[in-house]
Amino acid sequence: MKAIEFNEITKSFGDFYANSGITFSINKNDVHCILGENGAGKTTLMNILYGIHKPDSGKLLINGSEVHFNSPLDAISHKIGMVHQHFMLIEDFSVLENVILGNEISEFDVIDFKKSREIINALIKKYRLNLNIECKISDLNISQQQKVEILKLLYRNSDILIFDEPTSVLSPVEIHEFFKIVDEFKSEGKTVIFITHKLKEVMEISDKVTVLSRGKVTFEKRTKDEGLDLSELSRAITGKEETHSDPENIKNDTEGEVVLTMKDICLFKDKLPKLKDFEIRLSRGEIYGVCGVEGNGQNEIADLIMGFENNYSGELIRLTKKVSIIPEDRNKKGMIKEYSIGENFVLKFKRNRYVSDNQVRKISEDVSQNFDVRLSSVDSDLDSLSGGNQQKVIFARELTADNDIIILMHPTRGVDINASGFIHKKILEERNKMKAILLISSDLDELIKLSDRLGVIYNGKIVKEFDKSELNRNYAEGQFSEKNPKNKFDIYEKIGMYMIGLADEE
Amino acid sequence: MAWLMKSKLMLNFISVALSLFTTILIVVLLLLIIGKNPVEIFSLVLSEIFGSGYGIGQVLFKATPLIICGCGIAVCFHASLFNIGAEGQLNAGSFAIALSAYYFGFLPFPILIICCTLAGFIVSGIFGLIPALIKIKKDVSEVITTIMLNFIILALINYFLVEFFAVKATMRTEKINDDDFLFKLSDYIPFFQGSSVNASFFIALAISVIFYLLIYKTTFGYKLRAVGFNQTASKYIGINTGKILLLSFFIGAGITSLVGLNYIFGYKGYYELGFSNNLGFTAIAVSLLAKNNPIGIILSSLLFAILDYGGLSVNQLVPKEIMLLIQGIIILSLLSIDKAVKIYFERKGMA
Repeated sequence: MKAIEFNEITKSFGDFYANSGITFSINKNDVHCILGENGAGKTTLMNILYGIHKPDSGKLLINGSEVHFNSPLDAISHKIGMVHQHFMLIEDFSVLENVILGNEISEFDVIDFKKSREIINALIKKYRLNLNIECKISDLNISQQQKVEILKLLYRNSDILIFDEPTSVLSPVEIHEFFKIVDEFKSEGKTVIFITHKLKEVMEISDKVTVLSRGKVTFEKRTKDEGLDLSELSRAITGKEETHSDPENIKNDTEGEVVLTMKDICLFKDKLPKLKDFEIRLSRGEIYGVCGVEGNGQNEIADLIMGFENNYSGELIRLTKKVSIIPEDRNKKGMIKEYSIGENFVLKFKRNRYVSDNQVRKISEDVSQNFDVRLSSVDSDLDSLSGGNQQKVIFARELTADNDIIILMHPTRGVDINASGFIHKKILEERNKMKAILLISSDLDELIKLSDRLGVIYNGKIVKEFDKSELNRNYAEGQFSEKNPKNKFDIYEKIGMYMIGLADEE
Repeated sequence: MAWLMKSKLMLNFISVALSLFTTILIVVLLLLIIGKNPVEIFSLVLSEIFGSGYGIGQVLFKATPLIICGCGIAVCFHASLFNIGAEGQLNAGSFAIALSAYYFGFLPFPILIICCTLAGFIVSGIFGLIPALIKIKKDVSEVITTIMLNFIILALINYFLVEFFAVKATMRTEKINDDDFLFKLSDYIPFFQGSSVNASFFIALAISVIFYLLIYKTTFGYKLRAVGFNQTASKYIGINTGKILLLSFFIGAGITSLVGLNYIFGYKGYYELGFSNNLGFTAIAVSLLAKNNPIGIILSSLLFAILDYGGLSVNQLVPKEIMLLIQGIIILSLLSIDKAVKIYFERKGMA
């Protein structure tokens, strides 16, 4: 039985074909992963399925009958639900209010909160979501907010659930929990569509995989039934073996001068403690990884180092004020998306002077060549680029500033394997140029691969530091292979426990 | 960006054209309702304006301050600042220009006009800095502070003018020397005989060229627009956003003062209370209609000048307020149609 059939779906934006003739189907009660580089057309396809975009041509069949969606409301009425990468929650509303919003149970226009509460609490219990429905969204962490999104779908009785990169914001333990919920869905006969960049998760959770590339289906295989393995999958996406994108991490031995010291830093925001006795030391020529679930003080550390935050106590010594940053949110903080590549670079110019169009174009061309950014025209604004390409541009811009301290926040989030391999290589190059690099991330693979030292942050404090040898040993032993999966699991699990505060402080 | 400019420019053109068309329709309807013949009235307006060099000259004369003030407001708009205080700022600056022109009348003309320009620019600019500072330090919306500052500035000028500087029994300053006037276009081109259009029209055009270069072709302009697009990102990219906000308000407000050159050096020779006649507000409409684009500002200033002068010429048939009505309808229809056009083309996947 097919839950969804895409039949020759084509969608173009101007000259650009986001989807061209996509045909594949999703079986009922499958966990179906959709993979592909940034800009491959995954999001567009999901937006078509969810009624946000209309296809130019082609048919969409749900449970065997053709449908024409004009808006997400039509999709919802066909029991399709979607959890977007950026959550659609109202911060000032409680969990309860967010869940019932748009689907209130009411009598004579008065909302029946009692009944709603009963229904939602039953759902929470059944799926072990562990949420307090009276809590305000702004008081919840990312993982809990995601659960609220899931709860919304359950409340609406969705049968087809779409998740757009659900695990990119979660810690290992939370990912584990999330997979349990997905298993529960499966056992109830629901269909799950899962968009991700993380291949190992695909191997773990999926029944079937579809790979998109440049708007077309390039690979399709059932995971377990047809014996898909990791290297085959990574070849299907990149055309290369995954190991090729892993750069070698060789650190030169010279001890660098300490450029940044933070000691006993305490910081309050809105009367809430954000950093408590925070300590860190960063030297030239090293990558210090900060690992933690989002919202444990990472943003505050970055803002402190950038000099945006002055209401703190403790000691902060910067040897240089020249700090580059790749912020965690490209759209809001990283770039002017209305500008072209070159125009974004102009913003870094120190002296005020005349800037010619040719100069701007020259920069765009150079960057697109040196950093392999694909452009439809040199004048394209960043908004028209895919996430991975945008990230490369931001990277290029911040690196050319040649600052001594570089803060990287989730540098490869939502970025495809090719682009993230490229970015990792550049990070190591900068380290070897004796830059001091602070790598803030929640992607353990990335952190363990790149960090020379790794600190786990929990509740505004570094609760545990790992040094290179510990990471190296564990990483080398654990590296993917089936040879010794246990060891790898050990260090991941260990870090994961510190990340959610379950391990004792040492 | 050029590609974007092209398609954005086209979108803007479409929405401006559509809203002008809508406006004409509504006005024709209104005229019919009050029992007037729209053909008669429109042809009278056109013949009054384009039938003589005097009419064209008057339109250029009325467009001059609109171009200048429109550019000033557009600087702020580009930084996403809504400067409603132009009326106060330009009065303060013009007052300063009139006073310095009178008291430094002994200086040779070229030096005098430069000094007066600077004086006006700085005085208006300082009044622009006040809302900018309050916004940066205390995060108070500039819309509110600039509106309130209008009242304060006008009251202050009123006091100083009446107490210290006014010519007896009038509400104006002393007149500048007769040989300190800018030349009139009719001095060289007899076609414009009798009209007040003067050299400050060229000053206005020069300001719009400088405006274009500053906003679109300098590092400062790029940073200013970046702050307008996304202030948070600008901060993380390393732009001193506070400085940019201060400067754009200073420059934007400063430019508005230069309308005083037209009135004082080109027309009356003195500052007079109420001379601006809500120019600072009309210029907001000009800038909105022009989408803050310099060429657009020149065109929309001409349109508003035509409406203004046209109103006078049809006064015997319909109340001249009909032209104010048209101005209002243009802005309303532009704002609503603009959105509709954008949504329509976004659906089609063009923008």
